[in-house]
Amino acid sequence: MRHYKGLVKPYVIWSFLLIALPLLLIVLYSVTTGDNSLVTIHFTLDNFKKIADPVYVSVFAKSLQIGLIATGICLVLAYPMAYFIAKCSDSVQDILILLVTIPMWINTLLRTYAWISLLADNGIVNSLLEMLGLDRVTMMYTNFSVIIGLVCDLLPFMIIPIHTSLAKMDYSLVEAAGDLGANRIQTFTKVTLKLSLPGVINGVTMVFVLSISSFVIPVLLGGHQFVLIGNLIENQFISVGDWNFGSAISVILAVAILLIMGLMNKAESDDNGGAE
Amino acid sequence: MMKKLSIGPKLYIALCFVFFYLPIAVTMFFSFNSSKSLTKFTGFSLRWYKKLLEDQEILSAVYVSISIAVIATLVATVLGTITAIGLSRSRKVLKEWILNINNIPIMNPDIVTAIGLMILFTSVTISRGYMTMLLAHIAFCTPYVITSVYPKVKRMDHNLANAAMDLGATPFQALIKVIIPMLKPGIYAGMLLSFTMSLDDFVVSYFVTGNGVSNISIVVYNMTKRTNPTINALSTLLILSVGIILVALNVIPVITKKRRSKNVEMSGSKRKIFRRCMAVAGGVAIIVVAVFCVTRFTTMSNKPVLRVYNSGEYVDTELLTRFEKENNCRVIYETFDSNESMYTKIQSGSEYDIVIPSDYMIEKLLDEDYIQEINWDLISNKEAIMPGLIGKSFDKEGRYAVPYYWGSVGILYDKTAVDKDDLKAGWELLRNPKYKGNIYMYDSERDSFMVALKALGYSMNTTDESQLRKAYEWLIEQNKTMEPVYVGDDVMDNMISGNKQMAVVYSGDAAYVISENENMEFFVPQQGSNVWTDAMVITRDCQNIELAHKYIDFFLQEDVAIQNTIYIGYDSAVKSVYEFFRDEEYADNSGCAPDISNEKNEEFKNRDKDTKAFCSNLWTKVKSN
Repeated sequence: MRHYKGLVKPYVIWSFLLIALPLLLIVLYSVTTGDNSLVTIHFTLDNFKKIADPVYVSVFAKSLQIGLIATGICLVLAYPMAYFIAKCSDSVQDILILLVTIPMWINTLLRTYAWISLLADNGIVNSLLEMLGLDRVTMMYTNFSVIIGLVCDLLPFMIIPIHTSLAKMDYSLVEAAGDLGANRIQTFTKVTLKLSLPGVINGVTMVFVLSISSFVIPVLLGGHQFVLIGNLIENQFISVGDWNFGSAISVILAVAILLIMGLMNKAESDDNGGAE
Repeated sequence: MMKKLSIGPKLYIALCFVFFYLPIAVTMFFSFNSSKSLTKFTGFSLRWYKKLLEDQEILSAVYVSISIAVIATLVATVLGTITAIGLSRSRKVLKEWILNINNIPIMNPDIVTAIGLMILFTSVTISRGYMTMLLAHIAFCTPYVITSVYPKVKRMDHNLANAAMDLGATPFQALIKVIIPMLKPGIYAGMLLSFTMSLDDFVVSYFVTGNGVSNISIVVYNMTKRTNPTINALSTLLILSVGIILVALNVIPVITKKRRSKNVEMSGSKRKIFRRCMAVAGGVAIIVVAVFCVTRFTTMSNKPVLRVYNSGEYVDTELLTRFEKENNCRVIYETFDSNESMYTKIQSGSEYDIVIPSDYMIEKLLDEDYIQEINWDLISNKEAIMPGLIGKSFDKEGRYAVPYYWGSVGILYDKTAVDKDDLKAGWELLRNPKYKGNIYMYDSERDSFMVALKALGYSMNTTDESQLRKAYEWLIEQNKTMEPVYVGDDVMDNMISGNKQMAVVYSGDAAYVISENENMEFFVPQQGSNVWTDAMVITRDCQNIELAHKYIDFFLQEDVAIQNTIYIGYDSAVKSVYEFFRDEEYADNSGCAPDISNEKNEEFKNRDKDTKAFCSNLWTKVKSN
């Protein structure tokens, strides 16, 4: 297997040019002032000091809250789904997973518009409620609409990795656990859940990151008062034109997320260390 | 071995799919709507499908989206898979470094990736368009492939590959025949993910593209102003084609298998499905690339090119086609969603010949020496322009800007719900507790501060911090007591559906809403408002000055301006056209030709950097309060 060592080389160069370099440029922007040219660079930490403003702190807190709720709901909904799918026969599994994936091929913006038609004050759901003689409910531009939009959009990102780890799981381990006297709950927690943990971690990180940084869904379903980190960054880059401050927020966000990632990776590798 | 699912799990799976497919079903359903509405079904029609097939912009966006998704997925899959295999054999330090760097695009918000790539492409001066979009897509897709494949590599039995090589296989053979088949589930997952991410991407594409290349998301985003079921028709077709491919891939092999023999093993047929998948994907990719090359060659003909950058939904595209025919040229037409985003794009190095910004932005661009003078001798229709629109404060001598459309800002209200007497309060109507929870504010820092400043009797161009602070308190107070919803261009669809009773809107948007919902009425409060002008300007680095003038002249032609105005709904800068709409076409429409004689009206001036930062900070506070 040593023969394949060299295969990694192209990506080393590629990832430096298209991943690391852009990031370094952003870091550079975050610690400089607006009037830069290549010749004169003014370093400053003001961009980071500005983030301590209570408004921005509350934006971070709200993003975190929304991200956690959306991730939690996704996990609760996705695990049984992935589990049941993994129990089907191979060909049915393929079809079900494709069915999970297809909605993602339809433009997110479009699906979000559809939610607007459904949830609006004069929308489809409210018309139905009215026909049934019930009161109308305000659903648009609330936490509810944003969470629904996010969950619907991100659920596949949770189902697919969990399903991947469950599907590759050696089913004889479950049988062995049963033969050795474990009851169904024990088998599930000690064998199935444990073996699917990498998928869960993968899914949770993906959904969490996508949800706290998304800005199109919160804007369309939550209204523009729904300022999350993603909106804040977008706003700084596009409307305000303060790229330096926008970069500073991005840097903080990236650092925070990388820290969480690091912790999760550590948890995962500790877990594997015990198993091997 | 596998147990059959009992009814509970089956029901659960079914419910989840209902949740997934509900928005899609709605999208498909309304693609057959006979009216524009996306909430009320008025009857069956295929008009949006007809429109879709005629819409060059959408068709080329479909082509861009799909070709980029296919090519990026193929490249990312190959690159990602070989990297994942190589990675498991690399030294620990290198491995961890690569994996961490690889995680960055997955972990980072799209917008950060987007901005980073944008800065990168700008600094190495690649001309932005298809290539940059493709590179960016490969850049963010590959990590997904690696994260899907790498765990498989880690868990794979390495002895098998070694055994194959001991038995005489070359490393390449061992790779293809032994390793790759073992990694198939991971590769599949990675391919699916990256195809999906690429097809659905908006943010990254939006920032790294240029020269009129746009994918479906960008087109949809620019349509927010006026959503219509054309795009629903598109997604219906997309779903159907995905369905057909699915059937082809899953049902046909099953049938042929049955016909052939019953003892073919499952794994064999799975391999066949995999091969068929690859063959189809490869075939599609080759066709797409070929078509791309051909279209490139045909469009690369010697026709002169004009690059126009305009606000979204701000021209009837049929007119662009007409202009192209009349002048035997090609128009590369790109749109922006706000003056500010246009400015960002220009700053990042995108080049255009004609830009159509608003007053204060023109002032800013003039300050930065971005605009060149108009040669009025080349504008034969100069006399048609409404007097008073040339020589506004942003261009006092009328040397740089040719007015396009103009209008005002006011309140659009539902006359069946809002009491006529309450209108006397002007902007304070927005703080009348009677209408609590029934207000849309427009999410524009400038226009919202304008509302508050005017309500307080100040100038909307004030730089006095204490006045701005009072305006801020006005807005905070309004937010607390009235619970308004802050919206963007979706305000128009919302008001057409009558979701709330009033909204702060531009006059032209009001005219459009009123033409679709007759319960609505528009007025400009007596405390004064923003009277704005959007104008065509020729950029400093314009490459075809003569053609640029022809373009400007074309849009001042009376018949062109009428057709354009029917589409846009704003007040034309061409006098005869303006009068035609005021007196005939839109005579009963209060959004058309608003009375702007009020002396308290102003137009926006370019703000200095500090005031801008101060206001945007306060505006963020208002919204997130």
